[in-house]
Amino acid sequence: MTMARSELRRRAVRAGLLAAVAIVYLCLVGMVQAFSTRNIVGGNLPLSRILLLLPSAVAASLAVRPRVRGGVTMELNMGEAAGAGASIGLIAGAAVAVGIGIVNLIGQEAVRGVFNAVTSALMLTLTLQRSTVVGTAILVALSTATGALFALAGVLAPRLRRPIVTGLTVVLLMGMLQSVVRVMLVQLGLATQWLYSVTFGGLTYLGAVASFAAGMAAARLWALRREAAAADAAERAEAGGRPRIPRAMLLVPVGFVLLALPALLGTFLSAVLGQVGIFVLMGLGLNIVVGYAGLLDLGYVAFFAVGAYATGVLTAAVNSGSSLHPGLPFLLAVPIVVLIAVAAGLLIGGPVLRLRGDYLAIVTLGFGEIARVLVTSDWLKSFLGGAQGLIAIPAPTMSVGGLHIDFRNPQPFYYLALGFCLLAAFVSWRLANSRVGRAWNAMREDEQVAEAMGVSTVRYKLLAFACGAAIGSLGGALFAVQIGSLAPSSFVFFISIQSLAIIILGGMGSIPGVIVGALVLVGLPGFLTEFAEYQPLIYGAVLVAIMLYRPEGLIPNVRRTRELHEEEVEQDAWLEGVPEPAPSMTLGEAVE
Amino acid sequence: MADGTTEVAPKPTATVGRLARFPLRKTIQLVIGIAVVAGAAWGAYRTISLGTFTGAAWRDLVVFGVAQGAIYMLIALGYSMVYGVLRMINFAHGEVFMFGAFGSYFVARVLNDHGLINSSPVLSIAILMIAGMVCSVAVAVLLERVAYRPLRNAPRLVPLITAIGASLFLQNTARGFFGDQDRGYPTPDSLGGSWTILGIPILRSSVIVIVVAVTMVAALTWFVARTKTGKSMRAVAEDKDIASLMGINVDRVVVMTFVIGGMLAGVAAVLFALVFGLVGPFMGFVPGIKAFTAAVLGGIGSIAGAAIGGLILGVLESVGPALFLTGLKIPGPNQLKDVFTFTILVLVLIFRPGGIMGTGEPEKV
Repeated sequence: MTMARSELRRRAVRAGLLAAVAIVYLCLVGMVQAFSTRNIVGGNLPLSRILLLLPSAVAASLAVRPRVRGGVTMELNMGEAAGAGASIGLIAGAAVAVGIGIVNLIGQEAVRGVFNAVTSALMLTLTLQRSTVVGTAILVALSTATGALFALAGVLAPRLRRPIVTGLTVVLLMGMLQSVVRVMLVQLGLATQWLYSVTFGGLTYLGAVASFAAGMAAARLWALRREAAAADAAERAEAGGRPRIPRAMLLVPVGFVLLALPALLGTFLSAVLGQVGIFVLMGLGLNIVVGYAGLLDLGYVAFFAVGAYATGVLTAAVNSGSSLHPGLPFLLAVPIVVLIAVAAGLLIGGPVLRLRGDYLAIVTLGFGEIARVLVTSDWLKSFLGGAQGLIAIPAPTMSVGGLHIDFRNPQPFYYLALGFCLLAAFVSWRLANSRVGRAWNAMREDEQVAEAMGVSTVRYKLLAFACGAAIGSLGGALFAVQIGSLAPSSFVFFISIQSLAIIILGGMGSIPGVIVGALVLVGLPGFLTEFAEYQPLIYGAVLVAIMLYRPEGLIPNVRRTRELHEEEVEQDAWLEGVPEPAPSMTLGEAVE
Repeated sequence: MADGTTEVAPKPTATVGRLARFPLRKTIQLVIGIAVVAGAAWGAYRTISLGTFTGAAWRDLVVFGVAQGAIYMLIALGYSMVYGVLRMINFAHGEVFMFGAFGSYFVARVLNDHGLINSSPVLSIAILMIAGMVCSVAVAVLLERVAYRPLRNAPRLVPLITAIGASLFLQNTARGFFGDQDRGYPTPDSLGGSWTILGIPILRSSVIVIVVAVTMVAALTWFVARTKTGKSMRAVAEDKDIASLMGINVDRVVVMTFVIGGMLAGVAAVLFALVFGLVGPFMGFVPGIKAFTAAVLGGIGSIAGAAIGGLILGVLESVGPALFLTGLKIPGPNQLKDVFTFTILVLVLIFRPGGIMGTGEPEKV
């Protein structure tokens, strides 16, 4: 069934206005200008231009998707879709044009008094480095064309659309991660000139086409493989056999890649990976508290601080700002640090046993702030160094066959972080499938029922806090080693939010999710330096977007998904006419 | 335990049984309670016997605390009302406050350029308050529409995490828009100095803050108690589903709640800016958390509670470090001001989760 004209028009205008708001926002917040120097393909497609066209593209392709209204699917034909997409792009482009007009009318100085980002550089970026009128006209035309093209892509059959979208994503990623990929190729002794342009830094046209083709091919292969796997699984289910290749075998190549990475990536990128490792640990620890036990802890930075400061104080040999400097070797200090963190976990967990949900969140946030204020204060200055912090924290060293390894260097540090992460991941994984993990599950789903079934909620809550604290303190210990000096300003609320965003993005309760979350949220801004300034903004947007559209995260934990979509599952079952597993009482029955 | 279950359950061994019956939670609470009371009493006794502070110094601290508390009170009402209606903590309320401050700042700059701030201070403060209110209300309503409304029936942690994300997003939006430096807020010159009221010299800005805040709270109390909208708000707070069966448009009431919360935050923002003379993108976070503490302290969901909680928190924060910590010879007691706030929050939630004006526990299931 086709859609009524008026509804189509309304939808297009709505999408266009949303895209317009998004573009104007991106310009005013400064992102467009910040990304104007990173070329993605050739010299004419920097990230800023992609950012300018992206809202129209996304809005257009989403607005033309078929919708179900009253049980009838309404689809658009190609012509309608192209028209709608063009008008979406036109509205968005026109908004920018109006914005440029307003700035020229009032004068740049006056506008900059309010919005810092409105500079002449931004105006040049918006008018594509041309004169105001010509540049604006080109921008509006480009925006309209983008809207129409992406709307057409939006109405394609998924079989055709997916490879195209994947191809474009691969091009974008290859362009954005230019430094990483180029360094890897050079280390492998491969030529890069055909892929990345020497003058502009981005992909060459040949490289872009190749990346696009590779992406399309990968998407197609993946789809074929999935079909084959589904058929295979059905066959096996009948025969009752095992999978042909055991899952554990897959770990071998992954392990090789993990071990080879520092050699491939060089110093700078290895340092970024070390940073990712620290946040994988933070994520794994918080995942136990939030993902497994369902206790929202917003003061997780406290354990990070405990780990870092305990390591600093225990390993410092010279006067580091603390009156204590026992100078323990790192590996001897770590167990003590973990014990101290467990004690801190119990100390924080003890008073909040009775609290649930949002109250717990606020109180733990309070504890996090208390930790920060205490390390800054003059009161504990003689132990923790006060506002100046601790300095001269030694890095662990090792001598293997005359080779002296200093773990502060990024590449050895990577292996140290990798070791800690593997340990923490293993512990998390075993815990999740143990009696303790099941108790946490029960407690998270319904505390009262769990209590009634004999789960001691007091004990398991304390255990969750202790385990979370232990793993988080390992992250802190690594941080102390990596930096070599600690300042109280490193232990802010944002660290807690960063850890939370990692597990929310990856999926609460999912270990692979934590790793993906840390790679995306900590790794990407590390690789793309211009993102660093917008990191908190992006974190905020990620938290809201994930909660609104995919609360189970990118790599969901099955049980968690079910909890979050309970009502929807019931509704779907009702719509499809499947009897519900446990029919709830209807109003009529209640009256009877 | 109910008698039905004891029959089925296997008999625990003696030690395990005794361990299970050991009231771990109660003991922890008791120990914390005794430690806090003893520490506070000892610190206060030592401070007073040291005699570092004169009576006048204590009085000034209290008055400043009341003014500070009046600002917390206005922000706390926003938290409290939203919690009452939606049962969620609007974590981004501090950012609503911050945007109000920025909105009024840009108006204040224009007024200052025309010399209006000093020539007619009362008129310009009124204009600033309207500007602050408009900005805060706009942000609050947008927040509700975009981030909170789609999640109204989601599991409880979901809207809270959304609110945290929204808070971070708004904070950094302001940073991107307006830059991360604090900006000086133009204040009328006549606001400096002090008035003597009942023989006590009080800073003029403090007087204005207290008068405006008390007026706002009185107006709000009247609004909620007497008007039809106020009545429907109370109905929705009582039970959303029944209220909607009774013909109340719940969406409208929720928006109204955010509007009122935003208005109060906007006024609070202007007062805050007039007292401290600075606006910046991160100014909302700490007052937001403290106001939330005040709301919990007084009993979240109640107007009187938020008002009393705000005042108590303001005074405690101003007097507390000096009174309890100086005597213990802790260096830099004022650095520990925030520790004080959060300790109070933790203690209230442990011992009287319903707050001063509330009853029982905040949440049963």
